[in-house]
Amino acid sequence: MTELPLIEAQSFGASRAGKPMLSRVAELTYWMSLYVERAEHVARMILVNSNVLIDVGDIAPSLEQNLWRGLLRVLHVDKHPKAEEILATGQGLAHRLCHFLTFDVDNPNSLVSCLTRARENARSIRENISAEMWEQLNTLYWSITGSDAKTRFEESPQDIYQQIMTGSFLFQGLTDQTIPHGQSWLFSQLAKHLERCDLTCRIIETKFEILRAAEAELDEPLRNIHWMAVLRSCCSIEEFRRAYPGQMDPNQVVAFLILAHRFPRSISYSIRHAHEASTGIRATVNPQVAGQAERILARLRAQLENADPAEILTGNMSQLRTSNVQTYLRNVVGHVAVAGEAIQKAYFLR
Amino acid sequence: MFQDYPIDGIFDEMFESTGRPRAHYAAVYERTRDIGSDFLQRRRKMADVAFRNQGITFTVYGDASGVERIFPFDLMPRIIPANEWDIIERGLVQRIAALNLFCNDIYHDQRILRERVIPPEMIYSAKFFRREMIGLSVPHDIYAHICGTDLIRDTKGQYLVLEDNCRTPSGVSYVLENREVLKRVFPNLFGSYRVRAIEDYPHNLLQCLKHVAPPGTDEPTVVVLTPGIFNSAYFEHSFLARQMGVELVEGRDLVVENNFVYMRTTAGLRRVDVIHRRIDDDFIDPLCFQPQSALGVAGLMNAYRCGNVALVNAPGTGIADDKAIYPYVPEMIRFYLSQEPILSNVPTFICSREDDRKYVLEHLHELVVKSTNEAGGYGMLMGHQSTQAQRDEFAGMIKEDPRNFVAQPVVQLSQHPSWIEDHYEGRRIDLRPYILSGEKTIVMPGGLTRVALRRGSLVVNSSQGGGSKDTWVLEDSAV
Repeated sequence: MTELPLIEAQSFGASRAGKPMLSRVAELTYWMSLYVERAEHVARMILVNSNVLIDVGDIAPSLEQNLWRGLLRVLHVDKHPKAEEILATGQGLAHRLCHFLTFDVDNPNSLVSCLTRARENARSIRENISAEMWEQLNTLYWSITGSDAKTRFEESPQDIYQQIMTGSFLFQGLTDQTIPHGQSWLFSQLAKHLERCDLTCRIIETKFEILRAAEAELDEPLRNIHWMAVLRSCCSIEEFRRAYPGQMDPNQVVAFLILAHRFPRSISYSIRHAHEASTGIRATVNPQVAGQAERILARLRAQLENADPAEILTGNMSQLRTSNVQTYLRNVVGHVAVAGEAIQKAYFLR
Repeated sequence: MFQDYPIDGIFDEMFESTGRPRAHYAAVYERTRDIGSDFLQRRRKMADVAFRNQGITFTVYGDASGVERIFPFDLMPRIIPANEWDIIERGLVQRIAALNLFCNDIYHDQRILRERVIPPEMIYSAKFFRREMIGLSVPHDIYAHICGTDLIRDTKGQYLVLEDNCRTPSGVSYVLENREVLKRVFPNLFGSYRVRAIEDYPHNLLQCLKHVAPPGTDEPTVVVLTPGIFNSAYFEHSFLARQMGVELVEGRDLVVENNFVYMRTTAGLRRVDVIHRRIDDDFIDPLCFQPQSALGVAGLMNAYRCGNVALVNAPGTGIADDKAIYPYVPEMIRFYLSQEPILSNVPTFICSREDDRKYVLEHLHELVVKSTNEAGGYGMLMGHQSTQAQRDEFAGMIKEDPRNFVAQPVVQLSQHPSWIEDHYEGRRIDLRPYILSGEKTIVMPGGLTRVALRRGSLVVNSSQGGGSKDTWVLEDSAV
C-alpha cells in the first residue's frame, strides 16, 4: 500500500486568501457589496413607506409629501429635478415616485441604478467571486431590467421589492458561504456594514425631521405608526418587540437601533463588524501599522460599546425638539464617510 | 421533424445525398426525430436562460439597443468521427508548426523572402508586420501560442482551411460553455456516444503560458490582460482567467519599473511574468505603438525585449494571418517542413498580382472579396448576392489599394440541421478548432462550430447573426 503524502496544513491556508489582491478588484468588490446593500434598503423603504400610507388612511397631503420627501432625503435624491417635479405636481404621487425610485436610470440610487452598478462591478471581477454569487446577482439584475419587469411592477410592486430584498440576502449568504473569508470577503463586509450604518443613521435622523414638521397633526397612535415604520425600515421590528414587549417609546426605539450590540441591524453592530473587517484587511496587507480608517472605526466602536443611553437621549424626545440624537447620528455619519475615504486612499487604484 | 428537409447538392453533415442519416449521426437522429416541438421549445428556453443568467454574452459594436447579447445556441450537436478528426488534427499541427517557423524567419533571417518563395513587398506592405519585432528573440521561438484556424467543407465534404487566426482568436469560452449547457439541458443526447472531453483546455492553456515564463521563475505569475468590460469578448477573458485561476488585469493595473512588469495590489506592487494579452498589438504599449492608447501599459515592450516578461501571443503574429499571406501557407509548409500540406487552402486570388486582379475585377459577381485585415465578416463582398452598386464600390476600392484585397470563389459550405421554429432546416456551418503551441502542440478535440442562422447565408460570424453549436469529436469510429 502506498502512503498518502502528508500535506502541510499551511499549504491550505495560503490559498486565494493569502494572495495579493489587485487594487482595482478590491475597489470593485467594495462597491459591488455596497450597492447590493443599498438596493436592499431602497426596496425595503419603498415597501414600508407604501404600507404606512395604507395604514394611516386619509392623511393630510402635506404629510404624505413629507413621508416621501424623507425617503428621498435618505437617498440623497430629494433635490433631483425629476423628484421635485413629481412632488410639485402631486398627482399620482406614490405611483410616480415608486417608479422613479425603482426604474429611473437618471436616479443614481434607484433600484435599477444600484443593481446595474453592482452587476457591472461583479462582471469586472467574476474571476474573484464565486459563480454562485455572480449568477445570483445577475439573476437579480435581470429580474428588474428584464422585459417583463415593468409588467410585474404594475401587477404587484410588493412582489418586486420582496424579491429584491430576498435576492440581496441570498447574495450576502452566498458571499459568506462560497468564497474564502480573505481580503475579497473582508472588503465586501466592510462596504456592507458601512453602508448599512450610514443608511440606518439617516433613516432615524430623517424621521425626526418629518415628525417635527407634522407635530401639530400627530396623535399618539399615529406617532407610534411612524416609529414602527422606522423599525420596519431597519428590518428590526420583531427583535424590538421581543426586547420591549408592548412598548413603542421613541427613546427606546432609537437607543435600540443605535446600541443593540448583538443585533445585526444596529449601528453598534455595523461599526463593530466594519472595524473588524478593516483590521482584517490591514493584517493581510500591512501588519505593522493601523490605518486611518481602522483608527476612526475603533474610536466609534469604543464609543458605541461603552455608551450610556441617557447620554445620547438627553433632550426631551416626546416633544420632538431637536435632540442630541440628531447631532450624535450626524457625527457617526460624518466619521463613517471619512473612514470610507480613508479606505479608498489606502487600498484602491489611484 | 425532418420532413421536407432539402439537401440540394450541398454537403450535409447529417444526411447522405440519398437522405439516409450518416452512421455517426444515426443515434442522434433516432433521438431527435420524434421529439415534439413543445419539448424542444422548453429545452431551448432553458438553454437561453442558462446563458443569460450566467452572463455568457458578447457585445455587438454599433448597436445601440441591448448591447449585450447571448450568442444564439443551436441545440443540435455537430459530430466529427475519429477518422476525420485524425486528418484535421495532423493537418493543423503541421500548419501551426509552419506558421511559427514563418514568423520566426520573417523577424530574423528572412530566408523565405531571400529565396523568393514569398515576394518581400507582400511582407513589408502588411498592416500587421511589426518592425519592432525584428531581431527580437522570443521564448522557445513560439509566436502563435494560441491559434484558431477556420475550417469549412466543400460540396464533396473535403475540409479546407479558410483562414488562420494567429493574433487573439476568441470563441473558446463558448466551446466550453456550449458543452456545459448541452449537458445540462439535453443529457440523454450524449447517450450512446463517446465524446472526447474538452474540459482540460484551460489547464493546457495555463501550461502553455507557463512554458514561456522567463527563466528562473519557479511559480510564474500569469495574468490575462483585457481591454475591459466593454470589449466584445470580455466574457471570454474573464472566463479564461477564472478557469485558470489567474488574475484578470486591465492596463491600469499594470506598471513597468526598471523593465519589469508589476501589478498594483492592495499590498503594493507584485511582479508579473507572463501576460496572456487580449489587446491588439497596436494598443499594448503607447510608447511603442499607438501613443494615444490608454488600454495598454507604457514600457511593456521594453520589458518584453529584456526578456523579463512573456507576451502571449507574441506581437507581430498578424503577419501570419494576413489574408494575402494565407495563399502562401502551403508553400511555407513545403519550404520549412519539406512536407506536403495535409489540409488544403481555398483557391485565392491576390489582388496585388496583376493577372489575379484583372480576373477578380472581371468576375466580381461570382467571387467573395475580402479585405485582408478585417475580421468578423466586416469589409466583405459576397459577389453572387451583391448589387451592381456594391460591386462598383469594391472594384473602386480594389483598384485604389489592391494589396488590401483577396478574392475567393464562393465555397458552398456544408450544412447541418438546425432547429428553426418547429422543424429542422439546413444551415451552413464552419469549424474553428483551437491549437496550443507550448512544450508540445495540442489541438483541442472539437472547436467552435459556427452556424449561419439566416436561411441561405454563408456568413457565420456572430457579429453577422451567427450562432454556434456544440461540437463532438468521437473517441473512435465505432459509434
